[in-house]
Amino acid sequence: MSATLGNRLLKSLGAASALSIAVGAGLSGAQAAELKVMFQGDPYEITIITDVAKRFEAANPGTTVQLINTPHDAYNEKIGAAVSAGSLPDILQLDAPFLANYVWSGFLQPVGNLLDKALVDDMTASNVAQGTYPIDKALYAIGLTDSTVALYGSRKQLEELKIRIPTSVEDAWTRDEFEAALKTLSTAPGVKWPLDLFRSYGSKTEWITYAYEPILVSMGCDVIDRTSWKATGTLDGKACVDAATEMQNWVKQGWVVPQSAGQNQFYAEGRPAALAWGGHWFYAEANAKMGDDVVVMPLPKFGEKGVSPNGTWIWSVAKTASDPAAAGKFLSFMLQDPAYRDAYKAHAGFPGLKSFAAASPLYADKGAMAVAFEQAGKTAVARPPHPAYPTITLAFQNAMTNIFDGADPQAELSKAAKKIDDDILDNDGYQPFGKAE
Amino acid sequence: MPRRKPPIWGGRLQELGMLLPACILIALFLLLPFLSSFEIALTNQRLIPRPVPVRFVGLGNFQQILTDSAFWTALWNVTRFTVMVLPIQCGFALAIALLLNQKLPFRNFFRGLFFLPAITSMVVVCVIWSTLFQYPTGPFNQIVGFLSFGLVSPIDWLGDPTWAMPSIVLLSAWQAYGFQMIVYLAGLQNIPETLYEAAELDGANAWQRFWNVTMPSLRQTHIFVLIITTIQAFKLFTQVNILTQGGPRGTTDTLVHYMFTAGFVDQRLGLASAVAILLFLIVLVVSLVQRFVVRDRR
Repeated sequence: MSATLGNRLLKSLGAASALSIAVGAGLSGAQAAELKVMFQGDPYEITIITDVAKRFEAANPGTTVQLINTPHDAYNEKIGAAVSAGSLPDILQLDAPFLANYVWSGFLQPVGNLLDKALVDDMTASNVAQGTYPIDKALYAIGLTDSTVALYGSRKQLEELKIRIPTSVEDAWTRDEFEAALKTLSTAPGVKWPLDLFRSYGSKTEWITYAYEPILVSMGCDVIDRTSWKATGTLDGKACVDAATEMQNWVKQGWVVPQSAGQNQFYAEGRPAALAWGGHWFYAEANAKMGDDVVVMPLPKFGEKGVSPNGTWIWSVAKTASDPAAAGKFLSFMLQDPAYRDAYKAHAGFPGLKSFAAASPLYADKGAMAVAFEQAGKTAVARPPHPAYPTITLAFQNAMTNIFDGADPQAELSKAAKKIDDDILDNDGYQPFGKAE
Repeated sequence: MPRRKPPIWGGRLQELGMLLPACILIALFLLLPFLSSFEIALTNQRLIPRPVPVRFVGLGNFQQILTDSAFWTALWNVTRFTVMVLPIQCGFALAIALLLNQKLPFRNFFRGLFFLPAITSMVVVCVIWSTLFQYPTGPFNQIVGFLSFGLVSPIDWLGDPTWAMPSIVLLSAWQAYGFQMIVYLAGLQNIPETLYEAAELDGANAWQRFWNVTMPSLRQTHIFVLIITTIQAFKLFTQVNILTQGGPRGTTDTLVHYMFTAGFVDQRLGLASAVAILLFLIVLVVSLVQRFVVRDRR
């Protein structure tokens, strides 16, 4: 009796599951076109993107947009997991320096023909550069914005201490001037740390490579040689070791805000940090607290010339996208949406489109961030556009973190260089990158 | 009356039918991934598929891990963590369990209250504690300054190589002791009241009753708690990933964090799988040794 009950139960279970599969298949077949969009951002950006998706849905009945908001700190890990699970969304936002790796791995498709031509023509040179794959020279991603890092200070404090305030990229502080300023500020009343390098962003974001690599490049070295694609001999060379030693020295002197002190020391009460080595997005925060006293200066010239970073989160279309044309349509709609642009403008978004730059008084001539925009045109150096970038940045971040924490610069940089070269070897040189031209 | 023969095959089939769903799920989600991680560990497989063919590298991954000083640092850190967290977490759990086993007013309320950290997400706990640990003006530093009359200067809890691990230990013990507390509470309630009454008649004071009645009666509970806590401790990851990312200078890097970085940041799935297997073997050996040491000698 009980045996037959068991059998019957099993049978009915089987029937039920077969039925549910059939129903599921029927439903998905009948569903309208859906665009899956994976992105990251702070709460403000999430609202902007959610709103623009709603407007797109209203303008395009029959198409729904499913937004997949993914935490910034684990974003690249999530992409990796999605690729290996075969569950990549149609549109994905990505951090510009990782583009070469993703295109080389073969899961993105060129977007040049999917987007409105006017939009592509409107991109700034830096924006085009960050979205272009160096091998086939095709455009794989686009963004409304770009980014840079500037040096922020208090006009009142600098003037009181008779520290010169540079006003253009050409008369940026030299290495000696920068160190003299740090020294003067270190003994100024109320100053606990002369410099905030935003170590509190931690090593889970791109910050370390993004914001500190320009110091290396300005001092005449780099994280990897950009023609032979070898790190040994460059990253562990004398110029880089000198640069790293110098930065370590700032920390040793007690000049740099420690990692555990948070991100607000520049404008916190009593202004414990005098200068801030901060992204363009930091201006809005600092300006809100300090008003016109915030002065924006170009990054110092450590060597012959100053160098600044660029690149930001840009939009791409997966090769597996079910409807690439619809994906392109969504991106064109979003990037041209006036409310979307206004929202970024209100948050000091750094222009990556010429028309957006023209409409952003903050970055125009005489705007508070004019010098930051000038810098992007004159001294920006992109992070190495090479498929080994995930390893390059991880190795460099670990090395820099350890060096800041007191490790031997030469030993750490040698270890990082070896790690990068090992990875390139392990991938057979990332052909066709390794080929001699 | 002739005995009815039990329906051998019908019964077996039914048993099998009952077992099947669980077996399939275990095989699919536990056994299969475990076996495939052995396979992946012997290759140079990447997280993201790439144009370079996947190669069989034999024990190359294991060789690379075992010669990497960061791996040994991670193992040493996890050992340090376990040795520190075991007595604190279990001692605290036992003390609270003893307290909550008394006939106090609002006993159930307090039981719930003390269990609260255990059901709070570790991520949330970490975010809150990072504020407590903040340098130089966080609450902990203010307490230290107040208690020492300002003589002790603020401590960079998570940024100082000597303090980072103890800070993580403290946080972890606080978050997780609830589970051990519940187990101890159950163990305490299993001790017959008569044993205490007999001890009292023999003139044993509270201290003697604890050492001679409570502790021996909790023997099996101790063994269970010890092994479970050790296994948990070896898996230390979340706190480190959120608060220190293994720093400063690798003093809080752990085996799982090492594995995570290798697999998801460095994208080397083969290497990460090899770490997973090593971690499994290490935990297995540690548990076996513990079982052997604390085995019942009767």
